[in-house]
Amino acid sequence: MEFLLGYRPLFDVFLLHTGYALGQYIVLRAGVFSVANAGLSSIGAYLAAGLTLKLGVHPYLSLLAGTLAGVVFALLLSWPLARLRGVYQAIATLAFVQVVLSVNVFAEPLTGGAMGLNGIPRVVGTWTLLIAVGATIYLMTAIGATRLGRAFDAVRQDEAVAVSLGVSVTRTQSVAFAISGAVAGLFGGLEAFHGYALEPNQFGFSFLVAILSYVVLGGRRSVIGPVVGTAVLVALPEIARPLAEYRMLVYGALLVAVIAYLPRGIVDTLLDYLRRQHMAARAASTAGRQS
Amino acid sequence: MKGLSLQGVCKRFGGVTAADEITLDVPAGRVTGLIGPNGAGKTTIVNLITGMLALSAGRIVFDGRDISALGADRISRLGFARTFQNIRLFKEASVVDNLLIGFHKLQQSSLVSNILGLPAARAETARIRAMAHDLLQRFDMSRFADFPAGGLSYGHQRRVEMMRALAASPTVLLLDEPVAGMNDVEAAELGRIFLEVAASGIAVLLIEHNIRFVTRLCEQVHVLDYGRVIASGTPRQVMSDPAVIAAYLGS
Repeated sequence: MEFLLGYRPLFDVFLLHTGYALGQYIVLRAGVFSVANAGLSSIGAYLAAGLTLKLGVHPYLSLLAGTLAGVVFALLLSWPLARLRGVYQAIATLAFVQVVLSVNVFAEPLTGGAMGLNGIPRVVGTWTLLIAVGATIYLMTAIGATRLGRAFDAVRQDEAVAVSLGVSVTRTQSVAFAISGAVAGLFGGLEAFHGYALEPNQFGFSFLVAILSYVVLGGRRSVIGPVVGTAVLVALPEIARPLAEYRMLVYGALLVAVIAYLPRGIVDTLLDYLRRQHMAARAASTAGRQS
Repeated sequence: MKGLSLQGVCKRFGGVTAADEITLDVPAGRVTGLIGPNGAGKTTIVNLITGMLALSAGRIVFDGRDISALGADRISRLGFARTFQNIRLFKEASVVDNLLIGFHKLQQSSLVSNILGLPAARAETARIRAMAHDLLQRFDMSRFADFPAGGLSYGHQRRVEMMRALAASPTVLLLDEPVAGMNDVEAAELGRIFLEVAASGIAVLLIEHNIRFVTRLCEQVHVLDYGRVIASGTPRQVMSDPAVIAAYLGS
């Protein structure tokens, strides 16, 4: 028990980052190559912390405000992004993340500038995070089984086909963006109320790369992909602790290996393999009956 | 008029005129043929009708309503369906999943019930799935339901695309070289389906290369060359037209 408690902070980090990864996953699923989630999480975190610190708003109301802010900014972003595709969306959203970062540094009276915000009440614990992650996983799974999830998949795979079947690309991607913004904003807020302090670079470039890595490593199609990706990459530096300063080298090597050999990610590759086995077994059994 | 009508439709790409003053009718309940040599602008016409390309001039009217300026997804929701010249399926998804997206237009569950996975949205998915299986049965494809679409034979992939187009019960069906690369038996089988579809009151525009195939299915044929309609009429009339012979065989 003592042993497990020792890993509790790490488990909390895993839960928070799973939330971020799922927020990233849902835009990618709808075919939007956006990395705006770091900026959206930053907005959610600072707004939630600021409301409680400066105006004395109840933390849970602040969390709600952070979530809504994520949605609003995501929708605002989706409007110009609808005209861009692929790598141009990535560049535009990267610019957005940098703008948020700069505003955080310069708007000192509100955000504390480079010093960030301190003395945030710690009201979020492991259980709250577990509930939030559970709810997010449920939402992502539920969406996958409905008309909206099918529209996401169609738009990602072939826009021309999606449009020819009556799916509006702009609307579908805006909805994906809004959902992603809500998740990003919520988990930003949760992080604020979990860690006592916020500083602007927390949601910078390395954060963005980490979140993207979780989804790439785990897999982009199934909901479990990002969860597994996060688990592996959060646990890895701990497992590789004996390697001391070479830890990040292992991290990088693993990512390169996965991108080169499992481009669909760990979970999706595994699921595809199992599905093929299943189909082969079924084909063999029908052939056996016919002969 | 019931059906689709193109009135003086033009499309210019820079200096190239891909469609030049095209005027033709695609009446409901019949298969209308559109033939022409490679590069004549046949696919451009499908893209113009479905709103994938914007017109440079002219109008497209459907059941008396001007649809020239509508977006592609709006036009699709008016009851338009198409197939693609190079088959476009979601290759890794199963055959059933490829069909499910074809029902998108028919579904009405609200956004909130979709995001929250409420029973209404789930029931709708179950209903659509049953409809997809009915469709598979009608086309004698049930045994392939769970196979990845990309692994099917060419003819079967064409069939899946056809089913996807028919899923939402369209009123206009645009077929872009649907039997390309098929043998005569497979083509005749699909041809029978096209006639059935037209008989149920759908306006069908058949774009083809294979003149024999078009002759069998269509009462009215238009011949396209360099973006212009060079002949219109019954297959027999059109085939004896000197301009058509020149376009196909050279003068």
